[in-house]
Amino acid sequence: MAEEENTSMAEEESTEAIRPELPIGRVKKIMKLDNDINKVNSEALFLVTCSAELFLRFLAEKSAEITTERKRKIVKLEHIRIAVKKHQPTSDFLLDSLPMPSSQPSDRPATDQKHPRPVSEKPVPAGTRRIDHFFHKPANEAPILIDNDES
Amino acid sequence: MDDNVGASDPNEDNNNIKEQERLLPIANVGRIMKQRLPLNAKISKEAKETMQECVSEFISFVTSEASEKCRKERRKTVNGDDVCWALEALGFDDYSGPIRRYLHRYRELEVERANQDRVRDNEREA
Repeated sequence: MAEEENTSMAEEESTEAIRPELPIGRVKKIMKLDNDINKVNSEALFLVTCSAELFLRFLAEKSAEITTERKRKIVKLEHIRIAVKKHQPTSDFLLDSLPMPSSQPSDRPATDQKHPRPVSEKPVPAGTRRIDHFFHKPANEAPILIDNDES
Repeated sequence: MDDNVGASDPNEDNNNIKEQERLLPIANVGRIMKQRLPLNAKISKEAKETMQECVSEFISFVTSEASEKCRKERRKTVNGDDVCWALEALGFDDYSGPIRRYLHRYRELEVERANQDRVRDNEREA
């Protein structure tokens, strides 16, 4: 993209070419998934990428506001959902697409999807570790702090 | 590995590839989200994944609306003005101002680039 040349600094936006932080090539692939869409020229592709970025920033900000309101430090799906609900145009196209609350993450191996048996079934000698403790931790996921008192 | 339940199977691998094609990279998404958060805040993996989906939906939604407009007007190619129109039609008029400025700037740069090419070509011929 063009370097800044001898243009005036009067414009409020950067006088350089605008560089979206999202990959334009991937945006193009996403567009192409819809067979009804014919041709999209390069300026349109550029603008869709820019507006997708604006949307992402907006939704991230609104979600974070919810997180902060609830005095949490981790942005969760539920915070996003509430943020989506609050903005009518976004809610109209997006609310139904959001995963249902407390759904299993899709990349968990099948073994973790079985519910562990209730721990209180049989009394065990003190200090015994139940065997299902070994299989309880998700194997490859980044640590997620479980927030049990979400409302 | 093959005996485990849920071991990778070719179909699942294909699904993963398709997933990658229809979502923006989680690294980019996560980074942009973080810019809007206080420093010590974190984002759950599920939230990042959800956000990937949201942005892809947005892209499809806006493009589809712009494309529909073109179809009605019997034009084949979606252009920048169509995208601006679609954003406003869908209620994202907050973006309209910045996006129109980007469009204006993009077109200016296109003209500059075309002029530079022309100058370069002329010099070459001299």
